[in-house]
Amino acid sequence: MATTFWPSIAAALRNTPHTTRAPMVWDPASLLMSRFGFGIEAKTRADLAHYGLDGWWANQVAFGRGAGAGYAGHAGVAAQGPLLKNNPAAVRAWLKANGNEYGWEAMDQLTRVTLGLQAWSHGQVYEAVVDFFANHLNVANHSDGVWTTRHTMDRDVIRKYALGSYASMLLASARNPAMLQYLSLASSSKKAINENYGRELLELHTVGIGAGYTEADVQNSARILTGRSLDADFNYTYKPERHFLGPIKVLGFSHPNDTAEGGEAAGEAYLRYLAYHPATAQRLAYKMCVHFVSDNPSPTLVAELARIYLRTGSQIVPMLAAILRSTEFWASRGAKVRRPAENLIATVRALGVGPGDLSKSLQSLHWMSSAVGQVPLDWSAPNGYPAVAGAWRSSGSLLNLWGYHRGLAQNWYDGFADLDPNSLYGAVKPRTSGEAIVQLCGRLTGSRFPAAHQAALQTFLGEPADTPIADSRLRWYLSHLIPLILDAPQHALR
Amino acid sequence: MTTPELSTAERLTRQAEQVSADLAAQDASWQGGWTRRSFLAGAGMVGVAALGSQLVTTRAAYAASGLSNGNTLICIFLRGAADGLRILVPATSDTGLDYLTTVRANLVPASTNRLPLAGAPGWALNSALSPLLPFWGTGELAFVPAVSVEGVTRSHFQAQQCLERGSDTATTGWLDRALQQLGPGTTFRAVTQGSALPAALTGNQSKLVMSSLKNFSFPGWDGVAPQSEAALRTLYRGLPGPLGEDVPITLSALATAATARAKAGAQNGAVYPGGNFSTALADLATLLRAEVGMQVATIDVGGWDTHTDEANQLDRNLTSAAKALAAFLTDLGPARRSRVTVAVMTEFGRRVQMNASGGTDHGHGSLMWLLGGGLAGASVYGKWDQLSAATLDSGDVPALNNAYDVLGELAQKRLGVGQLSTLFPGRTFAPLGLAKVG
Repeated sequence: MATTFWPSIAAALRNTPHTTRAPMVWDPASLLMSRFGFGIEAKTRADLAHYGLDGWWANQVAFGRGAGAGYAGHAGVAAQGPLLKNNPAAVRAWLKANGNEYGWEAMDQLTRVTLGLQAWSHGQVYEAVVDFFANHLNVANHSDGVWTTRHTMDRDVIRKYALGSYASMLLASARNPAMLQYLSLASSSKKAINENYGRELLELHTVGIGAGYTEADVQNSARILTGRSLDADFNYTYKPERHFLGPIKVLGFSHPNDTAEGGEAAGEAYLRYLAYHPATAQRLAYKMCVHFVSDNPSPTLVAELARIYLRTGSQIVPMLAAILRSTEFWASRGAKVRRPAENLIATVRALGVGPGDLSKSLQSLHWMSSAVGQVPLDWSAPNGYPAVAGAWRSSGSLLNLWGYHRGLAQNWYDGFADLDPNSLYGAVKPRTSGEAIVQLCGRLTGSRFPAAHQAALQTFLGEPADTPIADSRLRWYLSHLIPLILDAPQHALR
Repeated sequence: MTTPELSTAERLTRQAEQVSADLAAQDASWQGGWTRRSFLAGAGMVGVAALGSQLVTTRAAYAASGLSNGNTLICIFLRGAADGLRILVPATSDTGLDYLTTVRANLVPASTNRLPLAGAPGWALNSALSPLLPFWGTGELAFVPAVSVEGVTRSHFQAQQCLERGSDTATTGWLDRALQQLGPGTTFRAVTQGSALPAALTGNQSKLVMSSLKNFSFPGWDGVAPQSEAALRTLYRGLPGPLGEDVPITLSALATAATARAKAGAQNGAVYPGGNFSTALADLATLLRAEVGMQVATIDVGGWDTHTDEANQLDRNLTSAAKALAAFLTDLGPARRSRVTVAVMTEFGRRVQMNASGGTDHGHGSLMWLLGGGLAGASVYGKWDQLSAATLDSGDVPALNNAYDVLGELAQKRLGVGQLSTLFPGRTFAPLGLAKVG
């Protein structure tokens, strides 16, 4: 099917043939919330019905830019991250006063708040976009030397510009203490050039390895950014005496770079050149399509996003909106596999288990995401967590996730509000065992299961579909059936 | 079993035939609307997981020659760059002790903490590794110092990727390409202990990533586990993509894992210390004893980036690592471990000179440790230049020996990989003569 674009999101949806990958069935709300959010909650359907798709989108963007910006998407969760408001010196002072000057509390708070917002923030679109860019400009949380600064990358770079312009985000990242530390820019100087940042800037943050730059370009990329450094309090500072002097040429960019005082501005000019480079547009568009649409997006969709990027001066929201205005997006249900932590958070949201004791539930989510190898922001390498399914194959993770489905449905874990499994039926109580299965599948996965799958669940219960609910073994097995539904491909895919 | 002892290859071939039959039967029973087309088209080399048995591809039945020779290569990666100079210590003037004492006096183990190695007069082992010393005596411990590969920088990320991918441009891991050459194997052919796949195994070959054998069971109430597993087989039957393969593989592996787990428990008087690494090794020993067809296994161990207080930090790590490895080798016993070779590696070595914090910064040439069966003898293999300001590479141990040569030799002689050119593209193979064929 050729990708077409429409003036509004609703029009794109209307003009998309009802296409999905089996066994998923057509359900635009589930699709939307599994890509531009961390999974559907029961109440989202009401919101979508009330505001319409385009209205809902506008609300989400406005919320992420306004009332829900930063960590404000959920007040209770934000309150679990008091250190995230502080500058590096204040964080260090707090750590020292609390017994360990080199402690991990600020990094841990960032992890926990991120998980909490993914699970419960009202700004789901904002959280999804933040997750994308946090991985695109990855600075591993819990890595060397960022224990007082990592949150500034999240707060002042990723969250600040996630619904703004990529050029601004990139320029801010090139002055961020955590980024400077993580990719060794802070220790690069004219006497000892460290190529780490200069290389990743080209390879990962902007034009990509196929853009045709040379090793000499990499060296120049590192040279022009020397002088960007940290002061004793781990704040960004430019030190002219460390700046390399001499003409710089990288790809089509050249600069005389002949004064130490002008070195910072020369770097800004270079970063802007890279930000607005067509190869950057193409690469970011491609990554965005892989993240939000499918592991193999069409060239048409990628090209349209790249075109918008260049036309709007790297504005992120119009690119995202173009995805939603495409038929390719709405026809893509089932094209992505939920990565382990996405499966975990989507399970919390599908079951509707709220945070009972936030401090404990966020700690639970932290160890749970750790056991499946996907603690948010913790990917150690600069390329961010892989976005494609092939990178996540693990039997151990499958068994862990199946365990989480059971644990969350059966109230095993600290900190979550107890789930009454009967509440998942909603207002209309099923009359038979078969109706119960259909209702639960729809509620939990947004899919009507094919007959063979329904039959498998019926076999699990050990009774025919027409068994009256009063006589059904669901009395004992409901809390075992619920996780089994969440184990199914209808929840594992998105 | 009353039939005569079968060789591993014969046993696996029989399993393969059984699995073929099972799959044909399953094919026939699949319901309308489902197709297995994508299974075969999507992943290329990798086929479908088996039912009762453990083979992952139907083609195994026709590819007996490609089956495992019964040997196993275990790659242990010390993440963070372990300081080889404090592990295998240049212990005489000839190897560089004098220079070491001038630039890192506090990091050279005291003479009482340096264990001499018979037949390797210039070298001594940090006494934290004393549990491993008996294996030097039996020819089951060896080292390669000053080891690195082309294109490695002093960046952890870049260096790890470079070593594990087998070249600085490859997009899959060298172990994945080794598996590809070895042909089909069992569900347990490639086991990673941990929660994520290391770069060395990135690629299309099927592998089993498990965090622990103990927890490798169907979760929740046992009373509904068999019914749940049966339902899951139906729910994933015919599903295209990785999950359509991984769910059946996982379910198939449960029974074998349970059988193996039933035989868990250290043998031969081995005593494992605490810790994740130790547990992972104990799991591997259990799987090896259960003869599940494991060809390669990987374990990652963090905590080696000793920028500060190295003497204490590193020795603490070495003590527990050595105890765990010694327990593992003891647990297997001489006969079983003759088919198991362990390679311990790290992304690069550390700066020779100590820094201001009692630690060391990022360096270059590192140390590989080899343990277990199939070694050509207890020895320090490869080249070494007496350490001095003149012989160092920008203050670091130079790269005199190539890690691809070491890994390639193990792959070829121990696993039976034929061609090394796809494992390490661009490398002209120059084996050090450290392993035996077979």
